[in-house]
This record gives sequence, structure tokens and C-alpha cells, in this order.
Amino acid sequence: MIRIDHVSKSYDGGATCAVRDLTLEIRSGEIFGLLGPNGAGKSTLLNMLAGVLAPTSGTIELDGVNVAADPLAAKRNLCYVSDSPDHLLRLKGHEFLRFIADVYEVPEDVRAQRIAELAREYGMEGELDNQIQSYSHGMRQKMMIMGALLPDPATWILDEPMTGLDPKASWLLKQSMRRHADAGKTVLFSTHVLDVAEKVVDRVGVIAHGELLFVGTVDEMREHFRMGGSLEEMFLELTSDESPLAAGENA
Amino acid sequence: MARAKTAAQDFSWRQFCVMLRVIRKGEQHLDQTGMGLGGDEAGERRGGLWGRLGAGARTAAMGLLFLLVAAMFFMMGYMIGELGTTPYATFSLCVVCLVGLTVLTGLYQAVNILYFVRDLGYYLTLPVSATTIMWAKLTHFLGMSLLGDLIVLPVGLGCLLATGASPLAWVTMTLAFVLCAVAVNLALVIVCVPVMRFSRLAHDKDRFSRVFGAVVIVFALAVGVGSQFALRGDGLASLAAGSSDLLSGGVPAVVMGLICPPSLLARPVVAGGALEAAAGLLGMAATVAVYAVLLSVVARRWYFEGVQALQGAGGRRGRRVEGAELRRATRTRGAFAANLSRDWKTLVRVPVFFNQFVLSSLLMPLYFIVIMVVGGAMGVSQASEAGLDPATLLEMARSLAALLTLDSPALAWCAVGVLVFGLFLGFSSYSFTMGVSRDGEDFFFMRGLPMDWGAYLAAKFVVPFALSTVPMLVLIVAALALLAVPVASGAYLVAVYLGATVSLGLLSLGVGALFPRLSWDNEAQLVKGGGATLMVFAGLVVGAVVMALPALALLAGALWQVLAVPAALALALAVFVAECAGLAWWVLGPCARSLSRRER
Repeated sequence: MIRIDHVSKSYDGGATCAVRDLTLEIRSGEIFGLLGPNGAGKSTLLNMLAGVLAPTSGTIELDGVNVAADPLAAKRNLCYVSDSPDHLLRLKGHEFLRFIADVYEVPEDVRAQRIAELAREYGMEGELDNQIQSYSHGMRQKMMIMGALLPDPATWILDEPMTGLDPKASWLLKQSMRRHADAGKTVLFSTHVLDVAEKVVDRVGVIAHGELLFVGTVDEMREHFRMGGSLEEMFLELTSDESPLAAGENA
Repeated sequence: MARAKTAAQDFSWRQFCVMLRVIRKGEQHLDQTGMGLGGDEAGERRGGLWGRLGAGARTAAMGLLFLLVAAMFFMMGYMIGELGTTPYATFSLCVVCLVGLTVLTGLYQAVNILYFVRDLGYYLTLPVSATTIMWAKLTHFLGMSLLGDLIVLPVGLGCLLATGASPLAWVTMTLAFVLCAVAVNLALVIVCVPVMRFSRLAHDKDRFSRVFGAVVIVFALAVGVGSQFALRGDGLASLAAGSSDLLSGGVPAVVMGLICPPSLLARPVVAGGALEAAAGLLGMAATVAVYAVLLSVVARRWYFEGVQALQGAGGRRGRRVEGAELRRATRTRGAFAANLSRDWKTLVRVPVFFNQFVLSSLLMPLYFIVIMVVGGAMGVSQASEAGLDPATLLEMARSLAALLTLDSPALAWCAVGVLVFGLFLGFSSYSFTMGVSRDGEDFFFMRGLPMDWGAYLAAKFVVPFALSTVPMLVLIVAALALLAVPVASGAYLVAVYLGATVSLGLLSLGVGALFPRLSWDNEAQLVKGGGATLMVFAGLVVGAVVMALPALALLAGALWQVLAVPAALALALAVFVAECAGLAWWVLGPCARSLSRRER
């Protein structure tokens, strides 16, 4: 479970506020989709959850562990895929996965089997001996996802995970997310692709200008707007400058 | 179709100006040796002390550095002139240096600026002719090269001052040098364009960068070794005389004439009368024009084809790793070993880092060995002339070394010598300082992992320590054994050396961890430019900080005699032990914690 309590993040001594007094609870056993336009504060929020950024105020707890107070314990129980897959490019695929397995202390008897499984699922068996820098964008993204799934922690935090993935890998990831949530664990991911959100998520949160504008199921969102339109239409209405919610009124 | 192709290659002055402005302001180079010309630094997102200085202050600092080096060269030229060397011979020396430097480093620089540019793929999509892009890039390259080349000119001008030449001679020598510099750079690009079109090596950026980086590092060290001897006695004057002989005739003159045609007309320009000088300058300008036309023809034919070939060059495919091999390849390691392995692989696989931190560290002991061997050979030859054979000399040295006991002031002086040597090694301590910065954006990826930052920093210490300290340690132990220094005294000197290098490394690593430069776009930004230069000199300050107290303790015994020598030796060593322990705690504690909280 992820508990975000009155979290804010500002830069330049408070001049720029990326996330504003955000409170949210994501339950175990659900897939939560975070939607928002570019620059809404999604990545900042996910970075704070992953312990890469520290909140200016407020607290974040992952399964009861305060991320700021005990970041190491919190990180052992989460995996994070950032919005860029260009990391550790000079390592070969298997070297990267070994590094991740060492850092997460994945047991010796599990790691090779799991790496082989992930490589087979994502079609990367023939690529493990190549440096990541020689991979295409989609292959790099697959490698980052494989690295995230290898330790199989309780909480998955994925920032735009479908970007660059081919249809099969995208489908596989969605299946993995569903299985993970059905096993009583937590998946939080951000996306711009509303179709993906509509089909995968249990609940959705819409964020714009650093504020959470709406939290609920897609059906609740439809009911809220009293329209039978697509998620895309509701999203555009919600995040438009004319929206009363975007002007500061919380959902 | 043919008409369209011809039209597409036409030069457009307006597009040339637009392209040149864009290239000057915002181009990102993929310089992978760190030997390329400046300019990449503009692409670095500003951070750290150097970044916060502001553009004006940075330019002023670099200008000051340029002026300092130029003043040093000017004084060198003045000394040569004082020794009776003619301005022509000195000018020849300048031209030979210019050609040597350009041939060795310029090809890579040209390739870096003309081809290894991230934005070049984008230019290919624009409706701008190949000729226009090529000339815009070439003008950019020539402008930057000329700025660098001008550093050699003060040697010739210094000689003119020493010989009391007229102001006109200063002007003609300057013009002649500029024309030589333009010609040699044009010649270089004339060679570079077909090489990049047809060479397989050039299409593998990593291998190409590694090869040229190695050549440049070896050359730099060779210059370092050579300068130890050339700067003694009349070495420079002899070099100048040799350079003028090189331009006088025979095969060397033909080679020089091909690489730098204006150099063959240097004698009338520098040593002749006003009319001869004017005619010579016109001749030089004509040869430059011929090379410009030749380059235009070559580039029109092959530049864009080379660029396209480079864009299409793909990576090599590896083997399939599975089953038992995969299990072996993914065996469990501790956090320290995992970080060490990752850091080492990155270090050797990134050409810039390999050249700057691995190759140069490994060649450094070679540098000392060559100096010691050549110096020793010269000493032996001088001793032989005085009737002493090498065995007698060694025996004399050993009898002196036998005096290095734990209560002898000579041992304290030797320890001071070791500290001075350690201070000199401060120049290379930036490989510790850069440890964290080398990770760049990868650092923030690792921030999302449950990372043991103490193990991370320990791994960052081990790699440069093994590369810089251990080879020199082997050399020191070999020298101590050769001279048969008493074991206890030898062990003491080794302990002092280790204390100095470990504390220097730890302090440098800690400073680098507290103030890392993580916002770079390509690795070369880290190791060149003003920030890196400042970092190298900061290493000296760091060295002075850690060695001040032990040096004072040693001098208290050897020089001021306020302490008994054994007490001074013990105190110096104790201070080093305390420093190492304190610094290790600082690095693994507060510095590691600061990394665990670092944000973009």
C-alpha cells in the first residue's frame, strides 16, 4: 500500500511548485493509473515515491515504511522504472541484470532462472550479451522493465512504462501488472496513453499543475461528469484551463 | 533527377550563416576521447562551482590561462633568441610544432567536429545542401583550431623581441603563421574526408576514439619526457636548428610541403626584405587558396556520403547467453563487488574515461621509468668519462642508501621527498574527484535502487587507487630494492607513500562526492574545459592540505631539529594514519549520506 500524506515539492526556494499538498492512498491489490498532461507533476511525484526526490513537506509511506526516514528499507520493497531507459548503457544486458540482482540481493538460485524467463518473455534472449547502448529505444525500455521485475518487490512504480514497447511487450507488461495486483500487491504507473489507462487500471488519478484533480474508477469519472464520452474527452475537460478543478478546486 | 541532385549541393550564403550560428551556439559533439576542442562545455547544463561562475568569468579564467601559457612560450622564444637562434629557425620550430600537434591531435578533432555530432542526423533531414553544411562546419572547425594553434606563435614573437626585429617583422611572422595554420588544417580535412568515407575503423566511434585517444596520450607523455631533456642547456636552440633543417630540403621538406605548403615559403617571409616578404605572403595565400579549392572538391564528393555511412553504422551483435553460462554470468556478489565491477566496466568501455583515467594512469609509471633510465644512462655516460664504471656507481649509491636508518635525518628528508612526489601526484587526484561525476545521469537511476552508498564510494576509491598508486608503488619498491635501502627504512618510506596517496585519494573522492558534476551530456565535458582544468589544479591544493601536517612533523626533525628524528618520523606516520582513518570515516559516513539524499 502507498500512502501519500499532504506531500508538496517545490524548487528554487518555493518559487516553482511541482507538486502541491497532494494526499492519496493506493491500496494493495490494485493498479492505479496516474494521468496528467506534460509537466503536470507525475514524474516528480513518482520520483518522490521512489526516494529519488525528497518531499519539501508531507510524508510518503510504502507498506508502512516512511520513505524519507528509512529509504533503503522502502526501496527494497519497490521497483521503479523511470521515464528514460537510457541508463548504464555501457553494461551488457546480463551485466545490468546481475547488477540489479546484486543490489536487490536476489537469491542465487532464483536469479538466473528469472532472468532467462524475463528474457524469453520479452524477446531479449539474443541481446543479453550486447551492450545496452546498442539497443533500440524499445529494447532499452524492455531491459529497464526486466530489471524492475527481476527482484519482484511488492510495489511497482512505473513512469510511462509502455513508451517504445512493441505490442507484445506492452501486452506482457499489462498482464504482469494484473497478475501482480491480483496477488495483493501494488502497481502505480503514469501514462499519457488514455486507452491504456482505461483498459488496465482499477482506479485513476488525474493530476495537473501539481494538484490531484480527481481520484476514482473510470466509471466514477464518467458518473462525475455525467457523460458517456471517452476517458480522453473527460481528461481534456478536466485538465483544460477552463476547468473549475484545474483552477484549484480539488476533486 | 541529376539536376535536382546538383541543385541540392549548391552553396547558399544565407543558409551557411544560419548553420554556422546554430553550430557555434548549440551543437553537441560526441567527443569520446576528451581530446576534442572546447565547445562541448556550452552544452553542459550548468552546475557546480565552474558552472555557477557565469559565462564572462569562465571566459576570463580561460583567457587568463591562455595568456599564461602564451607568456611562458614567449619567454621561451626570447631565451632562444638570446642564445643566437635566428627568427627563421624559431619560426620553423613553431611550424614543426604546429604540424606535429595538428597531425597527431587534429585528425581526431576534425572528425569530432565534422562527423561525431549528435545533431548531424537532424541536419540530414533539413533542406540544406551538403556543401553549405560542410563549409559551415569547416569554418567552425578552422576558427576553433586557429585559436588553439595561435598558442605556439609567441615562441617566434619572443625570438623577434630578443633579436630586436622591426614591427613589420612581427606582422609578417604573424600572418605567415596564420596562413600555415589554415593550410595545415585544410590539409588535415582533405585527408579526413576520404578516411571517414571509406575507413571501417572510423565508423566504429568507440574504436576510433580509443585509438586516437591512445595516440594523443602517448604523444603527450612523450612530449613530457622529451621536454625534461629539451629544456636543459641549449636543447631548444638545437630543436630550432633541426626544424629549420627540416624545411630546407629533401624528403622532410616534401612531406612538410604537402602537409603545410606555406611553410616552404617561410624563409623569404621571415628572413627576407619587405618585397620578398610580401611576395612570400602572396605565395602562401595562393597555396592556401589551392588547398581550399581542393577541399571543396573532395568534400562535395564524399563529405555527406561519409556522414550517411556513419549514421548507418550499427553495433555488433553478441552471442546468446543462456543456461549454465547465464548462471555463471549472474552469480551473486556483494554490494561492493557489484559496484566495483560496474564502475570498472564503464571506465574501460567509455573511450574518454579509458584514455583519461586508465591509459594515462598506466603510462605515468612508464613516464618515470623512461626519465629514470635516460637520466641514469646520461649519468653513467658522464661517470664513465670520469673513469667510474656502473657497478662502482651502484655501489656508491648503495653505501649512501645504507645510511638511511630510522634515526637518520637523511631518512626524514627522503620522506619529505616522498611527500613532494605525492604532491605531484595530486595532479592526477582528479581521477578520484571525478569518481562520482563519471556516473552522470546514471547516478539518479541508482538513487532509485536500494544502494549501499558506502560500498559505492569504496568501489569508487579502489579503481583509481589501483590504477594510479599501485604501479608507482611497485616502482618505488623496485628502486628501494635496487638501492638496498634497509628494510625498516624502506618500509617506512612505503608507508609514508601509502599514507600520502590514500589520504589524498580519500579527500579528493569525498570532495567529488559532495560536489559532483552530474549534469553532463557527453563524457568529454567532464574531462576537458575550464572546470576540468580547475579540478586538476585543485588536486594540488588537496594534496597540500593532507600533506601539510606530516611534512611539518618531518621538518621538525630534519630541519628545525625541535624533535628527535625517530619521534618526527613516528609523528608524521601517526598523522597520516589518523588522517586516513578520519577521512575514511568522512567518506563512508557523511559523504555517502549526502549521496543518498542528492537530487538533480
